[in-house]
Amino acid sequence: MLNFLTSTVGKKYLMGASALVWVGFVFAHMAGNLLMFVSPDAYNAYGHALTSGMIIYVAETGLILALLTHVFLGIQLTLQNRAARPQRYAAAGSRSKGAVFASRTMAIHGTIILIFLVSHLITFKFGTYYETTVNGVVMRDLYRLLVEIFAQPVYVIWYVISLVLLGFHLSHGVGSMFQSFGLLHPTYQPVIRKLSWTYAIVVVAGFLAQPIVVFFIANEGR
Amino acid sequence: MASNFDSRIPGGPLDSKWTQHKFNMKLVNPANKRKHSVIVVGTGLAGASAAASMGELGYQVKAFCVHESPRRAHSVAAQGGINAAKNYQNDGDSIFRLFYDTVKGGDFRAREANVYRLAQLSVDIIDQAVAQGVPLAREYGGLLANRSFGGAQVSRTFYARGQTGQQLLLGAYSGMMRQVDGGNVQLYSRREMLDLVMIDGKARGIIVRNLLTGEIESHEADCVVMCTGGYSNVFFLSTNAMACAVTAAWRAHKRGAYFANPCFTQIHPTCIPVHGDLQSKLTLMSESLRNDGRVWVPKNKGDKRAAKDIPEAERDYYLERIYPSFGNLAPRDIASRQAKFRCDEGRGVGETGQAVYLDFSDAIKRLGRDKIAERYGNLFQMYEKITGENPYETPMKIYPAPHYTMGGLWVDYNLMSTIPGLFVAGEANFSDHGANRLGASALMQGLADGYFVVPYTVSDYIANNKVEKVSTSHEAFKAAAEGVRAEISKLMSVKGTRTVDSFHKELGRLMWEHCGMSRNEKGLKEALVQIPKLREAFWSDVRIPGDANEINTELEKACRVADFIELGELMCRDALERKESCGGHFRDEYQTPDNEALRDDQNFCHVAAWEWKGASQPPVRHQEELKFENIKLSARSYK
Amino acid sequence: MADKKINLTLKVWRQRGPKEKGEFKTYEAKNVSTDESFLEMLDQVNENLVKKGEDPIVFDHDCREGICGSCGFMINGDAHGPQKSTTVCQLHMRAFKDGEVLTLEPWRATAFPIQKDLMVDRSALDRIVQSGGFITANTGSAQDANSILIPKTKADEAFESATCIGCGACVASCKNAAAHLFTSAKISHLALLPQGEVEAERRALRMVAQMDAEGFGACTSTGACSASCPKDISLTNIARMNREYLKASINRKEESGGGGDG
Repeated sequence: MLNFLTSTVGKKYLMGASALVWVGFVFAHMAGNLLMFVSPDAYNAYGHALTSGMIIYVAETGLILALLTHVFLGIQLTLQNRAARPQRYAAAGSRSKGAVFASRTMAIHGTIILIFLVSHLITFKFGTYYETTVNGVVMRDLYRLLVEIFAQPVYVIWYVISLVLLGFHLSHGVGSMFQSFGLLHPTYQPVIRKLSWTYAIVVVAGFLAQPIVVFFIANEGR
Repeated sequence: MASNFDSRIPGGPLDSKWTQHKFNMKLVNPANKRKHSVIVVGTGLAGASAAASMGELGYQVKAFCVHESPRRAHSVAAQGGINAAKNYQNDGDSIFRLFYDTVKGGDFRAREANVYRLAQLSVDIIDQAVAQGVPLAREYGGLLANRSFGGAQVSRTFYARGQTGQQLLLGAYSGMMRQVDGGNVQLYSRREMLDLVMIDGKARGIIVRNLLTGEIESHEADCVVMCTGGYSNVFFLSTNAMACAVTAAWRAHKRGAYFANPCFTQIHPTCIPVHGDLQSKLTLMSESLRNDGRVWVPKNKGDKRAAKDIPEAERDYYLERIYPSFGNLAPRDIASRQAKFRCDEGRGVGETGQAVYLDFSDAIKRLGRDKIAERYGNLFQMYEKITGENPYETPMKIYPAPHYTMGGLWVDYNLMSTIPGLFVAGEANFSDHGANRLGASALMQGLADGYFVVPYTVSDYIANNKVEKVSTSHEAFKAAAEGVRAEISKLMSVKGTRTVDSFHKELGRLMWEHCGMSRNEKGLKEALVQIPKLREAFWSDVRIPGDANEINTELEKACRVADFIELGELMCRDALERKESCGGHFRDEYQTPDNEALRDDQNFCHVAAWEWKGASQPPVRHQEELKFENIKLSARSYK
Repeated sequence: MADKKINLTLKVWRQRGPKEKGEFKTYEAKNVSTDESFLEMLDQVNENLVKKGEDPIVFDHDCREGICGSCGFMINGDAHGPQKSTTVCQLHMRAFKDGEVLTLEPWRATAFPIQKDLMVDRSALDRIVQSGGFITANTGSAQDANSILIPKTKADEAFESATCIGCGACVASCKNAAAHLFTSAKISHLALLPQGEVEAERRALRMVAQMDAEGFGACTSTGACSASCPKDISLTNIARMNREYLKASINRKEESGGGGDG
């Protein structure tokens, strides 16, 4: 099995598998965020429910392991790939014979997304702890923090850029995952490509709804 | 005369000669095989299959190729197919019929025994190829498919779309690479053979130039198998690849191997016509296209209308008219000659008037565009890339071009040349096609020689001859290497004014004009005056820049052209001496009233084998009489 | 085929040997017929260089009909030039406009060392085939060719994969210099046929291992390989290779000593 894990093919299976964990998480996270539009209490109650069981530790461990695998292999593969082509071409190729933009820049947006992820955790997970009471239960008022943060234009811009990059990353990544898993088939290839894009757009749009709406409401009338 | 000039055709009835001969041959004990080494020069169909098979037997094989990879040998470009007498179509085919068609197609200038063996082995080749994973075309039921080819009235050609040569070569190549992996074959790529080394009258090694470093290397073995292809590039413009050359064969010839029937060259009828002076090669459009394409010219001379504007009644489907029973599938020499006649009459088409139409409109109407695309898609695409015209809509323009050479180093039934220990296989030898090769028979011969003949006969040679080990420090190796070095430095030191290509083009024009599709005494004599002059000019005015001790593509070309010039002279001499017309060799003086080739079986039912006598003396012509015991000698008719 | 004359400027990578430093040099290609092939245009440039006593531009080429796989270099960053499904020898000058500037570079990859100018060493691809790209079938041991039926669709699919000419454009155009398309085409061709299925697992394991050992990069599914492949080898081959490799890795058993394939 060691041979498998150290081969370029095996590593891509691991890249795909670790990505799959996050593909699921990101979608759930996005869907949870949308509760904000139901009511502040619903949003806070959802957050509270998620964090108050043991399940959170299992999930977090899984996510961290997947992330570490993904990042570690990503770096390793990038270095290996650079070594395979130490000297670049002087002329850039044409579109028709080249690769899609997103696919050529995975390592770049991957890195930015990682930075975003860390800053995102600092801002929210480990950010200011407000309290609120919903239906008699005391819990963290994430809604308030969110409204405060998304009122700041700089953070919103950073958030939007990062999320668009995440969209790019996913648009290629999800389709590529099928390829790495050996599931690409001529009949389904166009479907997979569409699926990949649809997923990316839904996720990005879902996430971006929050800061944009909050920002415009907060800054209304100024 | 070399004592070895004996065809060694085994006795007995035709259909058991090979079986009996195999039984009579001596074997080498499996444990002893690894003590014997064989050099294989060339890795096309014949070379790769021979190296693979002998590696499997356990011999230590050294395989040489001029390319960066053995998979690039020019067999890769063969398009249409490979014949085999499988009779899968139940259309009356048999080993005897394939044998008969081949002898007749070759205009009765090949050995019966060799051709019969070829027909017998043809069936084993298909089995071997399929076992190796060659994806030959299949029917919906999962059985192998066949198509028809020229000179036959049965469907016996197996194919892989328009890439049969590529697929068969990749099969042989993969077999050889398996032996490289197993350690029985050692691969030497980017090496060009520049001399044969003889010790005690036997072939014992070769001198090669390492094309990357310029180093002159010596390699020894118990015997040498040359599979170095044909010499169509003597015409400069041909369907052959750029590196195809006579050099290896010519150097062996100069060491004593007779060169047989050099004037037997095949001009293929369906090639894309010449477009200009700077053209570097001609591209074949597979003969398989004549299955569905109809060849025609306008009935009126100088008719310059577009093809679609010429009404049916004003078209001359001349092959169908002259040869009603074979129609568009008349053999190559005949189809080529007829195209030439039409153009000479002033009925050629296109800007130059040196082309005829190959029209698919009827087939597209009958079968639909998709079916035609499935059969010939890649060929149509290739045609469009080169000419910028769409053959689905306008008929192809085609013209004959040099394609294959039936002549080559003389070999006996065992495929051994007049030099003991020097075997020659594939297109490089002269053996099986007589004066004209039928379509889809070259792949068959290359693989029959390599897979099924050479491994047996080489074993027999090794078992019968106590070959003592030699080392490359032997005097003969040193002298040969020195000779090669001297020749190269001579070429490098000329420092003249003309490029190698300019000489090659000039030679090509001379050969095409005087020793091409039709020849006559006056023209050949003229060429025999011009070629020596060209040789002199070459050696005094060629310009090769750079250094001999590095990659030097001009030097590579120069070595080849030097040999082509000498070969060209021999071809003209041979064409002049053969005072008859047969197959691809058409002498204007010898033709029937309706312009067909007129053979002279009384005086020329023989193989002409030429012996090199040194640069200062004319070569000597020897004859091997051909006996036809199983087929009656008759005038070839496809009418 | 109306022939037109155009003039071009070529910026060509010149490098004397594998260990020497290379650089771009500029050449004018004048009076080029649009009916010429790209290599014939280079022949013309070389002819003039030789006449001036300069070294001609070295590039690999042989059959000049798009099947031997010898030729190939980058034209303005595109492997084999701008035309789809076309090797550089089949690329004709009518694809270019008068006055264009073309940058010609060799394939660049660690696994393809440059020999001279535009000529590289692609023997790594041979070694990948050598490691397992074959069916073990000794000459003479075959049964009748029609004794195993193969569905036409299967045979056609295997053929499509088998049409690879080994030119290396996939490696050259891949930003990672990966050889996955080449390797997977051979693995697919043989795995699709019943004759090749028998040793499919051993083949997948050995060929992938050899591919990695040669120093090619990893596949990131950009699709540039297939887009620049002159024979349109499909990306689905890579998916099949990945499947075959996973399957083989799961079933992996150590090869027993005896036998071998000598």
